[in-house]
Amino acid sequence: MTNHWCDIENADSIMIIGSNAAEHHPISFKWVLRAKDKGATVMHVDPKFSRTSARSDFHVPLRSGTDIPFMGGMINYVLSNKLYFKEYVANNTNAAFIVGKDYKFKDGLFSGYDKKTRTYDKSKWAFELDDKGVPKRDPSLKDPRCVFQMLKKHYSRYSLDNVSKTTGVTEENLLKVYKTFAATGKKDKAGTIMYALGWTQHTVGVQNIRTSAMLQLLLGNIGIAGGGINALRGEPNVQGSTDHCILWHILPGYLPMPKASMPTFEAYTKATTPVSHDPESANWWQHKPKYMASLLKSWRGDNATAKNGFAYKMLPKADDGEDYSYIFLFDRMYKNEIRGGFVFGTNPAQSVPNSNKARKGLDNLDWLVVAELHHTETSDNWHRPGIDPLKNKTEVFLLPSAQRAEKAGSISNSGRWLLWHYEACKPMGESRSMGNIYVDIINRVRGLYSAKNGAYPDPILTLDWPSFYDAEDMAQRINGRFTKDVEFKGKKYKKGQQVPSFVALGDDGSTSSLNWLYSGSYTEEGGNKAKRRDLSQTPMQAKIGLFPNFAWCWPVNRRILYNRASVDANGKPWNPAKAVIEWNGKKWEGDVPDGGWPPNATGKGRYPFIMRKEGHGQLYGPGLQDGPFPDHYEPVETPITSHPFSKQLSSPCYKSVKSDMDKLAKPGDKRFPIVLTTYSMTEHWCGGGETRNVPTLLEAEPQLYVEMSPELAKEKGIDNGEVVVVESIRGKVEAVAMVTVRMTPFKVKGKIIHEVGMPFCFGWTTKGVGDATNRLTPAVGDPNTTIPEYKACLVNVSKAKKVTELV
Amino acid sequence: MPKAFFVDTSRCTACRGCQIACKEWHDLPTTATKQNGTHQNPPDLNASTYKLVRFSEHRIDGKVEWYFFPDQCRHCLDAPCLEVANGYVEGAVIQDKKTGAIIYTDRCKQLKEDECEEVTEACPYNVPRRNTGTGMMMKCDMCIDRQQAGLIPMCVKTCPTGTMNYGDRADMLAMAEKTLVKVKKEYPRASIVDAKDVNIVYLIQDTPERYYEFVTADNSAVGLPMSRKNFLAGMTKPAKRIFG
Amino acid sequence: MNISRRGFMKLAGVGVASISLSQLGLDLSPVQAYAAGLKIEGAQEVISICPFCAVSCHFIAHVKDGKIVSTEGDPDYPVSEGSLCAKGAAMLSMHNSHHRLQKPKYRAPYSDKWVEKEWDWVLDRIAQNVKKTRDKDFKTHNAKGQEVNRVESIFHLGSSQMDNEECALVHQGVRGLGLVHFDHQARI
Repeated sequence: MTNHWCDIENADSIMIIGSNAAEHHPISFKWVLRAKDKGATVMHVDPKFSRTSARSDFHVPLRSGTDIPFMGGMINYVLSNKLYFKEYVANNTNAAFIVGKDYKFKDGLFSGYDKKTRTYDKSKWAFELDDKGVPKRDPSLKDPRCVFQMLKKHYSRYSLDNVSKTTGVTEENLLKVYKTFAATGKKDKAGTIMYALGWTQHTVGVQNIRTSAMLQLLLGNIGIAGGGINALRGEPNVQGSTDHCILWHILPGYLPMPKASMPTFEAYTKATTPVSHDPESANWWQHKPKYMASLLKSWRGDNATAKNGFAYKMLPKADDGEDYSYIFLFDRMYKNEIRGGFVFGTNPAQSVPNSNKARKGLDNLDWLVVAELHHTETSDNWHRPGIDPLKNKTEVFLLPSAQRAEKAGSISNSGRWLLWHYEACKPMGESRSMGNIYVDIINRVRGLYSAKNGAYPDPILTLDWPSFYDAEDMAQRINGRFTKDVEFKGKKYKKGQQVPSFVALGDDGSTSSLNWLYSGSYTEEGGNKAKRRDLSQTPMQAKIGLFPNFAWCWPVNRRILYNRASVDANGKPWNPAKAVIEWNGKKWEGDVPDGGWPPNATGKGRYPFIMRKEGHGQLYGPGLQDGPFPDHYEPVETPITSHPFSKQLSSPCYKSVKSDMDKLAKPGDKRFPIVLTTYSMTEHWCGGGETRNVPTLLEAEPQLYVEMSPELAKEKGIDNGEVVVVESIRGKVEAVAMVTVRMTPFKVKGKIIHEVGMPFCFGWTTKGVGDATNRLTPAVGDPNTTIPEYKACLVNVSKAKKVTELV
Repeated sequence: MPKAFFVDTSRCTACRGCQIACKEWHDLPTTATKQNGTHQNPPDLNASTYKLVRFSEHRIDGKVEWYFFPDQCRHCLDAPCLEVANGYVEGAVIQDKKTGAIIYTDRCKQLKEDECEEVTEACPYNVPRRNTGTGMMMKCDMCIDRQQAGLIPMCVKTCPTGTMNYGDRADMLAMAEKTLVKVKKEYPRASIVDAKDVNIVYLIQDTPERYYEFVTADNSAVGLPMSRKNFLAGMTKPAKRIFG
Repeated sequence: MNISRRGFMKLAGVGVASISLSQLGLDLSPVQAYAAGLKIEGAQEVISICPFCAVSCHFIAHVKDGKIVSTEGDPDYPVSEGSLCAKGAAMLSMHNSHHRLQKPKYRAPYSDKWVEKEWDWVLDRIAQNVKKTRDKDFKTHNAKGQEVNRVESIFHLGSSQMDNEECALVHQGVRGLGLVHFDHQARI
């Protein structure tokens, strides 16, 4: 989230799209309803009428996978009716930047496309630079090659008619949302967008979110109270686990993963550190070498020195252009290229797409370590239905892990608040915290290696690794320490003392930090700030519910990101009634500003979007894999064979794997005419491995269902409550039919298209509840993130002849 | 001043925090359920479910409406169940003076099965259930234990949206009236249910029959020889005479 | 500093003893007191956080004799103000579930059953598997001859269930082993 949960109350208009907030983040509705009480309009754009829709002012049903046309239509509406916040757009975004001559867009493809590799040469999309290397600008926004004009041209194709016949949303409904939300393009109005996996889990997932960034920049809604782009993070600590980057392609603090083409620390920092020639651009990532040096220092202590490139050599390097994420891992597992691995608190046999293949892939492992609270479909894969365990070779270790209240530590909420929880009691039975388990495993591996024993033992033996797990000590290591006596900002620090903030981090080996973003969370001066429970606020802060003294928030306790964009050049808030920050002539008041520089009118300021090289919000985003402007591409499995925006039916860059089990239905496949979307549930958690074993929750939601419209049910002769088989080209799933007026058939290009929806939380280890919905979904992914397309694929539905999974 | 709940169903998101929290606080067991084409589960109140969120959905003039109703004992001011039960076993049901809570005591176990059925029948809202194992009559106790310790009832504490409100009866009634004015602007058929007879005061967005049959005392005549409302009317104080 | 909401509530609760049923004017000697005592009376309050969505509602665990006896929302957390959803409300049974694993289990290759094992045994065996596989498959250079120092045949998945401190630790260990197949729920 750019903002935070309580801040939703400050919105005048709330668009919930790609999210079912009331069901999946129920407490968020405390804040949504408070905003509504104050007069905000709440809109829900989603294929299904859900509990969120029930409490919204209106619900607009949209066919899965058509969010870009919906949002593109709104961008077009805002531009053609001049409803954007002009001063904000001109000063804070790259609207005035001149795009280089090589950029072209024709019939759904951008320039630089290579058909063979399905990738773009992004250098074709660069800005035109002046002789200092700064992008050229036209402040009048009239140059035909400036971003603003290009944007207008690109989205002029997104007419109401085109959008309506693609999305299945009536023109009347489109206008209702467009008008309401575009009204927040005024200085004193704020609109927020709440999204979740309904937006990310598409082969155009990243571009879906780009559309909201663009719209919010046009309306001046970024950096202000009640505005922002608010990703409702799903998992219990998925904000924190993403910040610490439990992901193959990044290191803690969003530092890029070293690549084979970057053999040394110098090569790495050169390749990954952006350089800006504009003195007004803060270009915050210029500090990347300091953060990387401090990370490596904390990983290897005295074994990492400036002289040895902080032992960068010992890091694993990914091959350039290679992908090591879920889809590819399970493909390699299926192809016998993987021998063993660790599964900590996740259930891939249930949650990976095309799970029939994923389960077969797991069969090929020599060994598997699962740390969990309960048996799961992953730990027990070796005796899943239809399998002879005596033929399964995998050696499986199932390690009992502690529940949340049985350990101390911190998690980060969706609003980036760092929150400490305490140990209420000892772990049940012999269970242990995952931290405790992992420290022990690595120590035992270290024990098996010696300097001359085994393959390249140095990376393991040189780790600065604790002998036992201590959350408090780890929290200190995350913040970072001085590795020698230093003076910083007039204050003397001894070796081993906590650094006060990431500004103190150096690239000379003088500091360590396991995550620069969290520097400042545990300091000599303030102690462990995640433990703060002070509800006090200044009157200015209280007006917008900032709660700056409760816990701590990254970065540097800044509660609303990009807040320098909430003020004019003199540091005066656009909307004084809901000011986030304000310059009092000497300093900033309110929130912690995005950099303490004085306002821009002083000439000593910096552009507000400090994490971008050029310092401006990106209406034109030349960094993504699939184009600088989002354009509509159908899901990989789509019920239609053409759309009005271009000849390019699906994403030209989406990721996929090939095997005998990776079948895809053809566009408009008559065998599978129905769109399937999948989702979570209020009462169960993700794959359900934990909540299915909580009797009260299972009582409330006991079995797998498929929601369908009465129109579809009638067509198929299906009664409410009867068991049906849902079938895709990859697999079959039994589910109870939930025939409901909350599902709507869509009129797309004059034809009726049905959509059904299913949760994915039920699995065979809980008897009679049903089994993995993901046996239906395809292993295709977004070109930027490789997130799978769980939200749209093709199926058919029929009455079940024999029921086996739901008894 | 007795206590009351104001349950504003126009704010309910059916998150079912209240339904689960009630079970957890009271250590209530669960029952085996099936998916029957609705989210409402268990299908009805039962001896181990004092609080149940009911779901009802409609397409009205082309517009979809989904109504939620966190159902529970209404803690009647003059409770028919109390009159009936105490007619058989003195002290089986008591009304806590301080809170107005209708409490089933252990003496309920002395009620015979058919007497328990009569107690349930007497309830205009079809709430009390008999635990066939222990013979005990079961329903919401308004978290009397928590109230006595200065804590608010668990369902109210747990509710995220302001649907469940708890306080002095006069305050709750005032809140209900005020809220109704607001809700009526969007839902002209909205009403407050049986406010003068009960301590759990519901605001519903639409006509009672669009929720379920026992939302109001009025609606509960279905299939009974005597309208429950009339029965309830007869159950005011002098009703003791009926049972002699 | 504001008076905390929880503190305020606790004050309100101080000194309120159970009212006796005899005050109600009934002879209740055969009747078991309906409020025989608050189950959280005398319990220690410990703050924890619901392990589900990233609203991160805080809850209070009431602990007696080292065991959680009740859980409810923490009114001091500004986001939830003491409220919880269905999952958050189920913290008590989630923690005390007898279905939970309580001892390490082992399933040998081609076996049809789990057997319980000691921690030392399983952790040693896991470490041996890691070393054996790593030693066999460690790549110092890729096909292009670039230095890569990695192991492709071992993976690590998870988890967003871990605390920040555990995540930081696991990341350090995973890269220390040289793993590149490393992913979690943020992508699925």
